[in-house]
Amino acid sequence: MIVALLLLSYAGGLSVLAPRVLTGRGWTVRAPRLAVAAWQVLIVSVLAATFMAGLALAVPTVPIRVGLSELLRACEMALRAGYATPGHAAMAATGLLLSGGVALRLGYWLVRWALTVRRQRRAHLDALTLVGRPSPELGAVVVGHAAAAAYCLPGRHRRIVLTSAALGALDGDQLRAVLGHELAHLRGRHDLVLALADVVARALPFVPLFIAARGELRALIEMVADDVAAGDHDRDVLASALLSVAEGSAPAATLAAGGPTAAVRIRRMLSPAHPLTRMSRFGVGLTVGAAFFLPIFVAGAPAAMASNQPYCPVGEPTSLQLAPVARQICAAPVPEGCTRGHSSHVLRAGSR
Amino acid sequence: MRRFGELESAVMDRLWARDEPSTVRDVLDELRAHRSIAYTTVMTVMDNLYKKRWLTRQLDGRAYRYRPVASRDQYSAALMHTAFDESGDRAAALVSFLDQMSAEDTEAVRNALRKLRRRTR
Repeated sequence: MIVALLLLSYAGGLSVLAPRVLTGRGWTVRAPRLAVAAWQVLIVSVLAATFMAGLALAVPTVPIRVGLSELLRACEMALRAGYATPGHAAMAATGLLLSGGVALRLGYWLVRWALTVRRQRRAHLDALTLVGRPSPELGAVVVGHAAAAAYCLPGRHRRIVLTSAALGALDGDQLRAVLGHELAHLRGRHDLVLALADVVARALPFVPLFIAARGELRALIEMVADDVAAGDHDRDVLASALLSVAEGSAPAATLAAGGPTAAVRIRRMLSPAHPLTRMSRFGVGLTVGAAFFLPIFVAGAPAAMASNQPYCPVGEPTSLQLAPVARQICAAPVPEGCTRGHSSHVLRAGSR
Repeated sequence: MRRFGELESAVMDRLWARDEPSTVRDVLDELRAHRSIAYTTVMTVMDNLYKKRWLTRQLDGRAYRYRPVASRDQYSAALMHTAFDESGDRAAALVSFLDQMSAEDTEAVRNALRKLRRRTR
C-alpha cells in the first residue's frame, strides 16, 4: 500500500514538475540531444511507476527466491492470505484496474499508431513514386511545386522530398545542408521519438508531462538535426538555407502551430555554438538516472527486505513483529507441499 | 501488397505527357522504345492503377482508353497538402524541414542574418 502510494506520488509529482524544469529555452537548447533523452527517460519512468503502483496493490509482496517453484509456492500462500480480507481484495482490484488500464490503453494506441502510420506512409510513398522525379545525385525525390519545402518520409522505405521551388531557392551548399538535416532525422529515427510522445499523450491524456513532451520533442529534434547538419556544413549556411525555404514557402493563411520554432532555430544557428559544460551534462544525466531508478528501487525494496526475514518459526511466533495475517498463516494448517520451518516459504514481516 | 515501382511511374509519365485518353497499346508502343516489355505487363499495371483510382477509363470499341484522374500538378499540390497538414496525423508520417513562418518572423530573421553578415565581413 505504501509502495503504491509512493510510486503514484512520484509519478504524479514528476508529471507536473518535470515539464516546468524541461520546458523553456534554458539548457535544453544548448544540449537538445540530452534533453530528448531526458524527456524519453522521464516518460518511461512515469509509465513504469504507475504500472508498478498498480501491481504493488494487486500482487502481495513475495520475497525474492531463486527457484520458480519456491516462488510460486510463496506467491500462492501470500495471495491466499491477501484475499482473505475484503479490504485487501478491494485494494487488489483497484491495483489491477490501474495497471491493466494503463497497459491496455498503451497497447491499443500503440497498435493504432502502427497501423495508421503504415497506411499513411504506404499511400504517400506510392504518390511520391508516381508524381515525383527521383534525383539519384541528390538522394532525394523532387516534386514540382511553387512553394519551397523539404521533408522526409521515415520508415522502411525512406525518402527525402524537395520541391522544385526549394531546388531553385537554394544554392549547392545550402542544398547539402538541408539534405544533411533530413538525413539526421532519418538516421536518428526521430519519427520513433515523436511516436512515443504521441502514443502516451493519446493513451493517458490527463498527464501534463505527456502533453508537454509532444510539443517540446518536436522542437528539440529539429535542433538535434540542425546540430548534425551544422557539424558537417556551416552554421551560417544552414541558417540561410532555413531562411530561403521560409521565404520561398507560400505565406501561411494563419500562423502555423509550429510558429516560433522556425525563428528560434534560425537565431540559434546564427549565434555561435554554446554547448553545455561537462559538469552540467553530468548533472543532468545523474538527475535523470536517479529519476529512472527510483521507482524500481521503491517497488523492489519490500521484496528484497522480505528475503532477509527469517522464515515461519516452528511453534509460536518469535519477538519479530509478524503481521496478524502472517500469524494466521503460521498458525494455519500447512498447505500441501510446504514444510513448516523450511526455508522455501517465507512470509513478509511487517504491514503492506 | 506491392508498392508502386519504376514501371508504374513510367506509365503515368507517358499518360501525363500524351494528355489524351490512351489504350494499353498506345502506352506499350511508347514504352517499347526504351525497354522490352510485354503487353500483359502494361495491361496489368494500368488496370492496377485504375483500381487504385489513379486512372479512369472508358470503353472504346473493344479496348479501354485510360487517362489520369488529375494532372501531375494537382497531385503534387495534394501531396504537399498532406505533408504539411497541421490537423491530421502529421507526426505519424513525416518530419518536415521547416514549419511555416509568419511574415514578421521572416523579416526579423532576415535582419538578423544581414547584421551577422555585416559583422563577419
